[in-house]
Amino acid sequence: MANEILAEQISGEYKYGFVTDIEADNAPKGLNEDIIRFISKKKNEPEWMLEYRLKAFKYWQTLEEPHWAHVSYTKPNFQDIIYYSAPKPKVQLNSLDEVDPELLKTFEKLGISIEEQKRLSGVESRIAVDIVMDSVSVKTTFKETLSEKGIIFCSFGEAVQEHPELVKKYMGSVVPYTDNFYAALNSAVFTDGSFCYIPKGVRCPMELSTYFRINASGTGQFERTLIIADEDAYVSYLEGCTAPMRDENQLHAAVVEIVTHKNAEVKYSTVQNWYPGDKNGKGGIFNFVTKRGICLEDNSKISWTQVETGSAVTWKYPSVILKGDNSVGEFYSVAVTNNYQQADTGTKMMHLGKNTRSTIISKGISAGFSNNSYRGLVRIAKGASNARNFSQCDSLLMGDKCGAHTFPYIEIKDKSAIVEHEATTSKIGEDQLFYCKSRGIDNEKAIGLIVNGYCKEVLNKLPMEFAVEAQKLLAVSLEGSVG
Amino acid sequence: METITKVNTIKDKLIAEFESSKGSLFGDLSIREQALEAFSKQGIPNRKSEEYKYVNMELALKGEFLFSSSIKLSAKQIESTQFLKEAIVIVVENGKFNTEHSKTSSLPKGLEILNISDAVSNDAFKKYYSKYADINSDPFIALNTSLATGGVFIHVEKSAIIEKPIHIIHITSVSENTILNSRNLIVVEENAQATIVESYEIVDSAAKSFNNTLTEIIIEANAIMDHYKIQDEKDFGQIVSTTQAIQKMKSVFTTHTFTLSGLLVRNNLNMVLDGEFIESHLNGLYLTNGNQVVDNHTLVDHRKPNCNSNELYKGIIEEKSSATFNGKIYVRKDAQKTNAFQSNKNILLSDDGTINTKPQLEIYADDVKCSHGTSTGKLDEDKIFYLRARGLSEASAKKLLMHAFASEVVDTIKIDALRDYIEAKISKRFE
Repeated sequence: MANEILAEQISGEYKYGFVTDIEADNAPKGLNEDIIRFISKKKNEPEWMLEYRLKAFKYWQTLEEPHWAHVSYTKPNFQDIIYYSAPKPKVQLNSLDEVDPELLKTFEKLGISIEEQKRLSGVESRIAVDIVMDSVSVKTTFKETLSEKGIIFCSFGEAVQEHPELVKKYMGSVVPYTDNFYAALNSAVFTDGSFCYIPKGVRCPMELSTYFRINASGTGQFERTLIIADEDAYVSYLEGCTAPMRDENQLHAAVVEIVTHKNAEVKYSTVQNWYPGDKNGKGGIFNFVTKRGICLEDNSKISWTQVETGSAVTWKYPSVILKGDNSVGEFYSVAVTNNYQQADTGTKMMHLGKNTRSTIISKGISAGFSNNSYRGLVRIAKGASNARNFSQCDSLLMGDKCGAHTFPYIEIKDKSAIVEHEATTSKIGEDQLFYCKSRGIDNEKAIGLIVNGYCKEVLNKLPMEFAVEAQKLLAVSLEGSVG
Repeated sequence: METITKVNTIKDKLIAEFESSKGSLFGDLSIREQALEAFSKQGIPNRKSEEYKYVNMELALKGEFLFSSSIKLSAKQIESTQFLKEAIVIVVENGKFNTEHSKTSSLPKGLEILNISDAVSNDAFKKYYSKYADINSDPFIALNTSLATGGVFIHVEKSAIIEKPIHIIHITSVSENTILNSRNLIVVEENAQATIVESYEIVDSAAKSFNNTLTEIIIEANAIMDHYKIQDEKDFGQIVSTTQAIQKMKSVFTTHTFTLSGLLVRNNLNMVLDGEFIESHLNGLYLTNGNQVVDNHTLVDHRKPNCNSNELYKGIIEEKSSATFNGKIYVRKDAQKTNAFQSNKNILLSDDGTINTKPQLEIYADDVKCSHGTSTGKLDEDKIFYLRARGLSEASAKKLLMHAFASEVVDTIKIDALRDYIEAKISKRFE
């Protein structure tokens, strides 16, 4: 195992950097009302949806791009982006045989073998996957199995057609289009995404997963995910993403919304591996994502776990609004930056209900010329009695040209709150390295071992399938960064 | 075209004040003009400004203000603010050096104390004045640099060891709403040693005052300096107090900030560690009640390798008051082997109070040990129970615990008389 990781470290380039040669149906470049009408028409949307988009677009035009994050990049030209790109030919897919073989090959390269998963459907560890390529959801697996339990798991476009009442009720209820610049942009131009509804009392029997892939050149990806867990429901949701290697910077601006009702629980795990740009910082994805969950009713729980290794610039704060009494929010994160990557990521925990609890564990690793920041907010509102928060943010520096930063905001307005925050920054301990080396473990392997140990608290929270991938990813991302 | 009538804002008033008074101000006018330009660019920060997010400066500066006060306090009134008996006393009254009440006649060898407006031709003044307080980094630094009316210049010569503490008393006494800009420069030369206590008091004041005070401190190689700031401006004093310190090789600087009262208190403490093997200690204690707003900003800038910094700020927040702690540790690329620690602890005793804390690390060097920790909570129920089981009433148990909480900072005071004074103040407060 260790040898494999090492081998990957040596040749450790971005292995998802292929382009699939699939004909795509593109909208012209640029952004205006016509493009939005075009997207809406393409997706055969009802009038209320178009209105929502146009409202968001109007609002977006009044906004300015935010610049408070600790990152620097050339501002994307919003008129130079293709806002709609669908793999062609787009037909209603009923079975796998109808899927374009090129597409299937892409998934195999990505390591998601749909066929294999179909075959393994009797086995305990199963994952239902919704794959979003460029702008359109291309395949959702296990849909039938899930619908037996009343679970709705489909593309966002389908949900708009088939479950408009749910979409209408919940969309924008957690992240309104007025929330921020990129949320407004997404609300105006989003093309697809995943929708998931777990009915009352149902514990989703398998992990649900969305796989995002940017394929076409010059496109931006704007997907929306909406997850609703009704009373006593439970779901574990995974998200993964990759993109081809290109010299240009591509924009990814997604919105994820989670709503939990009484006693419900949602666990959302992300392995983000968008193309980070080359060694000189050229190209790569701008990842500007708004993720937020709301514990709407009592005793509910939302847990975010993320492993961030990709993207040239990341700007992402998965948050939880703890509205219901006794609700729980969790955030576990590993963020790795190498070469010229920049990450400004963290979380927000808004305590509104009584006896709410939140935990934040963030592990940052920076190498090369990169900058890695944790930015987080813990707010205890007046009347949120007995709120409890514990935050821990550790940073590990590898090399003397990178930066690691911590910007926590803590705002407390209730006397019964107990809030703790700890942060440390250091390099890998010489004594730890010496210990490993004196037992015959060479330098690179020892570092791999120490880094994995350092991230263990977070990796342990990932579902098994993801944990293995995440460990490998960490090793690849840090390739050659320690001398 | 429509003509836009310009609102006469406080910013415009401040600029007008500069134009009318610039003939009577001390020092180089070009420095002041540059500062004024920097100020007019930045303006008075509003709630959207990241650095002044939690203090409403626009509200504090609302209304009409004068820029000086003609009130002269009696010797008796001034004496009432001298809590250190064994000290070299300097009085800065309403933003100006008061020669009459300052005891600068028989100074120990190696110590020079001047009215800052008389120090303009002094070599150390020329070398250091306005060199480190960056007018572009903060509007209040710019404002002070352009409008400073007076203050004190203290120069401790090479290898001089000043045993007695130097006590600078800033007294404010106004009859109408007044903005005051006082400015101090303290230079401690190589191998020298000094202790400076700055206290801020309001005596017999009838209106709102806004003190924008700036102290520049230069600590040369191997020098040792202890600095204390005691703020006790009752329920109506507003103060923005900036300390800009720069340390050279192997110097040791300890600074303490005690905020006991005041309507609005904003402290900007900027430390630059510009040399190797430097040691810095920053301690702070704030006790807030009523409608008080206290905002402590600290910045520790590690520029060179092998330095240590240690920061401890504690606060007890009561009633409708709000307290903010914003501490930043900045470690530059070359500052390897830096050890920097920061700790902020708060006790919130009321549901109407607010605590905002933002401890930040910004680190560009890898061989460092940096950490920060912050905690906010109520008084420990177990500890109260322990004390009550031993026969203490609930009130006295709480009082004892608050004392213990504060004593971690109070115990760092090295001057006995000052420690007794602060302890007495705290006891009175918790009664």
